[in-house]
Amino acid sequence: MQRITSVLKVNSHQFRNNELHNRRLADELKERQRAARFQRPERELERLRRQNKLFVRDRVEALLDPHTPFLELSTLAANKAYEGEVPGAAQVVGVGIVAGREVIVHADDASVKGGAWYPLSVKKIVRALDIAIENRLPVVHLCDCAGGFLPLQAEFFADRYHAGRILRNQSILSKMGVPQVAIAMGHCTAGGAYVPALSDYNIIVEGTGAIFLGGPPVVKAATGENVSVEELGGAHMHTGVSGTSDYLASSEMHAIAIARDIVAHLKRPAKASIDRAAPEPPLYDPCELYGIIPKDPRVQFDMREIVARLVDGSRFHEYQPRFGTTLVCGFARLHGYQIGVIANNGVLFNESALKGAHFIQLCDSNRTPLLFLQNVTGFMVGREYERRGITKDGAKLIMAMSGASVPKLTVICNGSHGAGTYAMAGRAFDPRFVFTWPQAQISAMGAEQAAGVLTHVKARQLAREGGRLSKQELETIREPILEEYRERSSAYYATSEIWDDGILDPIDTRSALAVALSASLNAPIEAPHYGVFRM
Amino acid sequence: MHTLPFDTVLIANRGEIAVRIIKTLRKLGLRSAIVYHEVDAQPPAIAMADVAIEVSARTPIAAYLDIAQIIAAARKANAGALHPGYGFLSENAQFARAVIQAGMAFIGPTPETIELMGDKIRARNFVQRNGFPVAPSAIEEDDPATFVSKARAIGAPLLVKPSAGGGGKRMRIVRDLDTLEDAIDLSRSEGQRYFGDGRLYVERYVEDPRHIEVQVLGDAFGNVVHLFERECSVQRRFQKIIEESPSPALSPELRERICETAVGIARAANYQNAGTVEFIFGRGEFYFLEMNTRLQVEHPVTEMVTGMDLVAQQIYAAAGRELDFSQSAIVSDGHAIEVRLYAEAPERGYVPTTGKVLLLEYPHGVRIDSGILQGQHITTAFDPMLAKIISHAPTRMDAVTKSHRAVQELVLLGCETNAGFLARILADEAFLGGQFHTGYLEQNPHIAAGNTSDGLSAFLASAALLTRAVRDSADAVPELHAAIGSWRN
Amino acid sequence: MYHTFEVDGVDHKLWLSPCRQGNRLHLTDQVIAPVKFVSHNDSCGLLTIAGEAEPVRVVVDGDVLHVLIRGRTRTLRYRDPLRTLASVAGQDNSLVARAPMPGVVLTTTVSPGQSVSAGMALMMIESMKLETIIRCPQDGVVDRIHFEEGDSFERDAVLVTLTKEGR
Repeated sequence: MQRITSVLKVNSHQFRNNELHNRRLADELKERQRAARFQRPERELERLRRQNKLFVRDRVEALLDPHTPFLELSTLAANKAYEGEVPGAAQVVGVGIVAGREVIVHADDASVKGGAWYPLSVKKIVRALDIAIENRLPVVHLCDCAGGFLPLQAEFFADRYHAGRILRNQSILSKMGVPQVAIAMGHCTAGGAYVPALSDYNIIVEGTGAIFLGGPPVVKAATGENVSVEELGGAHMHTGVSGTSDYLASSEMHAIAIARDIVAHLKRPAKASIDRAAPEPPLYDPCELYGIIPKDPRVQFDMREIVARLVDGSRFHEYQPRFGTTLVCGFARLHGYQIGVIANNGVLFNESALKGAHFIQLCDSNRTPLLFLQNVTGFMVGREYERRGITKDGAKLIMAMSGASVPKLTVICNGSHGAGTYAMAGRAFDPRFVFTWPQAQISAMGAEQAAGVLTHVKARQLAREGGRLSKQELETIREPILEEYRERSSAYYATSEIWDDGILDPIDTRSALAVALSASLNAPIEAPHYGVFRM
Repeated sequence: MHTLPFDTVLIANRGEIAVRIIKTLRKLGLRSAIVYHEVDAQPPAIAMADVAIEVSARTPIAAYLDIAQIIAAARKANAGALHPGYGFLSENAQFARAVIQAGMAFIGPTPETIELMGDKIRARNFVQRNGFPVAPSAIEEDDPATFVSKARAIGAPLLVKPSAGGGGKRMRIVRDLDTLEDAIDLSRSEGQRYFGDGRLYVERYVEDPRHIEVQVLGDAFGNVVHLFERECSVQRRFQKIIEESPSPALSPELRERICETAVGIARAANYQNAGTVEFIFGRGEFYFLEMNTRLQVEHPVTEMVTGMDLVAQQIYAAAGRELDFSQSAIVSDGHAIEVRLYAEAPERGYVPTTGKVLLLEYPHGVRIDSGILQGQHITTAFDPMLAKIISHAPTRMDAVTKSHRAVQELVLLGCETNAGFLARILADEAFLGGQFHTGYLEQNPHIAAGNTSDGLSAFLASAALLTRAVRDSADAVPELHAAIGSWRN
Repeated sequence: MYHTFEVDGVDHKLWLSPCRQGNRLHLTDQVIAPVKFVSHNDSCGLLTIAGEAEPVRVVVDGDVLHVLIRGRTRTLRYRDPLRTLASVAGQDNSLVARAPMPGVVLTTTVSPGQSVSAGMALMMIESMKLETIIRCPQDGVVDRIHFEEGDSFERDAVLVTLTKEGR
């Protein structure tokens, strides 16, 4: 496989500017993640200590095999919601190694609002279990939750993908034969009580763990009965009397040791086997990624330069290099695994759509997982293109991408707008994992474009009524639209809403994708088959 | 060679000395009988002896102190002689008498000599009266009223000793005369409690003393010879750890003087059979310390340099034979060093250790006097000494090197020993230079402590690779994740 | 969760991970690779550690390893976390006073908020026609009394919970 020859001038003014900018963005990401993960009011940490509880991250680290990677998902969930008071949506979720097994770790963060479930907490947990289902990954639940945040119950209770979906997903996982282990390290109340109950195995920590459908105050209000937490749903009762819990742990660490022991005994079904060779680092330094992505989102760059810093040996076998050049397609390896890369070098045209649809089918047939690198404002518009059937061609691309059976991974590298977002395996199309980069923007239309359109509409409206807008007045209409768009299309907004599985520092992308890809191979790859391609 | 008047010898002892005695008995064509306590049923001596007779008591040690049972056992085995070994009843005059009264030869000195030398004050006085050097002292018994003031007059530093003690037991060093009276009170009550005898004496304490002892041998015909000296200064709490001959501290003249003094003392006491005269040596002066009327633990050192079998000599003497060699025939050749292997952990305050001897392989090229077998359980029932390793070579340096190599080659797995500690002493500069005294180990605690972190990673690596749980968890991690290592996004 | 070996009374954490040519040994303060052990027979082996080869004599007795390397013998004990962690934190157990058998509360001699000390009588219960005093397990403050006089309870029921003082 031939190596990509980079034409980048790493000493150029432009490169240096980009690098400065992107390093700053990466530092900002690192700091915001650090704060979301670790910054807690002292009184919360003090309270945990008093209750003899470990901080959630200490629990997770003790659960995981040392010296193995942990791919944390949606660290910055809820960073723009609830006045920023619920970092990570009070949940820690990720893909890690426990007793040698790839598992989904789902842990309530009791240092945030007692681990209460906010609407985005529920969304994060449902997403974690969806990942478990799609990739057939066992789940370890570390439960320590104050219950649902009732003031917002309308946003997390009744609908299809609300809290009930957590329990539904757990049941489906079990039905699929994918095991779950839960540890009750705090209260598991009401809906939360079903998390350990629906897990194949559960462990309860003496003194702090409790499982009940209603806690003592609820019981008192309902029947007048006076009963303590311990008596109602404590470790001794559930392991010795009701049989709801399987193991009594004398401490959290003991519980984690038991959980590890259980996971060690779980069956190890064969993973989907795909082409794999010996791994090789990229020839070009991944740090150069910082210099490639332009500060101005309107400036175009060659995606091949990105690819060269992501794939093994910077080797890339490009498919149809002379046709549909705004879509780069080709084979490469990631930590030895063969992948098909589809990346945007501009707007999608008829040819690019056709090429993409064909390449997807080649990869599907070859059992080669797909990596979509997004930087797209959408499809080309205009009379010529419509007459040549660009809508049909886009539909073929979407049909192929939707139907592909091989695992799809998506990284939003820069812009992600319009139908391009969809065609390039956006969230709605169930890629196994979606990641973004700090400067990414995602919206129906680019901010500038949208502001332009909306301002134009307003101006025309006024014109019909006989008015005219000054340049300044136009600006006052434009600016707020731009602001709103920029805010709500930013990577931080998207990740807050859990439209993706997390923002990555570009230089972490290679490892993240390798872990994600390996995890995805726990599910079998079906034979290729698609719907109807509009020809 | 005349035949001996007895054909069976009962050994009233255990462990390595019992094995050692049996070896000589076999060489001399004598039958061996041994007594043992039930917890001691395994060790090599029991299997090696021709007859083994069980004795019972509340504690194992008590069994070896039960005179009546032991004599009965000797009778049962038709023993014509009895060897007491060292420790236990070996310096018990009453026992010696009982053995003789039972019609058996006691392989050791006469009961009278045992009594004389057993009473440390009496022994000291005897030696002084006969013109041999003793440390300036004050004996309470002589004049209780002036005892304390006489003691004070000797000047610090002083050693307060119980007269019934010996072997370094219950001795107290007083450096500050203000504490003298307290020390005396304490020693008195200890003497009463441990030896049933509260009598005391006080002696000049020689600073940086070296412990030098001389092996003597006498017969019933008044012949007494010496078999040169041994240096036993490497001690801990008066327990010997390393002994050697010749002493690196003595000039030929001093050597001659000390050995002759020892012979003189033994002769004056009409000493028969084997014994050892112990001296305190420092700053060119030596004083009589005590006499041990038994075979000593470290006798192999003398055997190696003189080529003599001391146990055989003891048997001949007990059989009434005259020594068939003169002093001039005894020659000291080369250098011998003995190190004592103990079941203890010097790194952790010399705490006694226990365990099963899972693997035992002795080093080559050295003499091993051992009382343990592979498969044996080491318990705290008895003295923790497991074995003695004795090396012999033309020079001291060669002997040290041989001992050091032997201690490192020794394989004893399953019960912790002081082997590492012995190796550290044998490599220590001060020891190599012969520059040490009885306080050497105390003043150099780093030798006992060792270096715990030194080379620890190799041990952890071995343990990790040999532990199933550790290997399994390593094998379980997928190759990709092991290669990426501890990465976090 | 790391593996733990106790040597000379000190716990040492370690982890083994696979690598080319053997394994990687992760210690608290260093990583050594590659490490490999080849057994020659029951008690003999060759340890390769960071390129150096060391002959090793070893006897494994359950979770205890007796190892001799370069004239130095050490005993290492594998501390199985399931066993070692289970015994810890029994202390928290003592913040409750449990019923040794099923029965009925006769009288309660303390009240919530009261400072109590270990061994102090908390309540009198009756069971199988026998009266038993339930005693305080350790010093603390009475948090809650879970049964009233005349209430019946099961075996192992928590009768009284305490909190530690001053926390």
